[in-house]
Amino acid sequence: MLEDAGFVDVQIGDAVDTFGGATGEEKARAFEVFGYAFLARKA
Amino acid sequence: MSELAVDPDALREQVKDKYREVAVDPHRTFHFHTGRVNAARLGYESDVVDALPDRAVESFAGVGNPFALRRLQPGEQVVDVGSGAGFDSFVAADQVGNTGRVVGIDMTPEMLKKSRETADALGLAHVEFREGLAESLPVEDGWADAVISNGVINLCADKRAVFDEIRRVLKPGGWLQYADIANGRPVPPEALRDIDLWTG
Repeated sequence: MLEDAGFVDVQIGDAVDTFGGATGEEKARAFEVFGYAFLARKA
Repeated sequence: MSELAVDPDALREQVKDKYREVAVDPHRTFHFHTGRVNAARLGYESDVVDALPDRAVESFAGVGNPFALRRLQPGEQVVDVGSGAGFDSFVAADQVGNTGRVVGIDMTPEMLKKSRETADALGLAHVEFREGLAESLPVEDGWADAVISNGVINLCADKRAVFDEIRRVLKPGGWLQYADIANGRPVPPEALRDIDLWTG
């Protein structure tokens, strides 16, 4: 979607266990939900 | 435009309700981590976080680190989409310095009040907070060198509209650096249409 919206040079960082140890962990594990950093430039 | 899974206005009201609680009662238990514990988990530089007062950090509910892949440069003009109680805006303010500017945008009145009071308490004249939506940012065309955001775009029903708006406020070649969640397994269509699952 980023490239469709006119961004280039898209980078994605390592996965972070955002919900580990929180009460939302079980639901996050069910759908393999993790946090990521994204970087892109306006073309 | 493709059909949206949920009504944007209804989702916004639900998000406001959730983050109003995070603003006024940050030490209760949420389904996500908050505050200094969260900042440490997500890899923020400890010296910057340690220098901030509790009220600047306690309502932080980010899901990643928008500064992980690029550090903001001195003098840059930055927009923080969904700035909440201001934590990422204050980190950005430290990175851009007094020659830069940071504009935080949020739709939740309790978050705006908290972020503005904290900026005043810290004497940060180069940081301001404006009321607005991610889909219609109160920022002029081509103003920003960088746009940051943290855990916000996943809570917007029309993500393409958000990216189009971010692109509008960025200068040519400007940076979008944000953190958000993504799922490795597909979410069933019926779950995508359940608005309660978006915030809980």
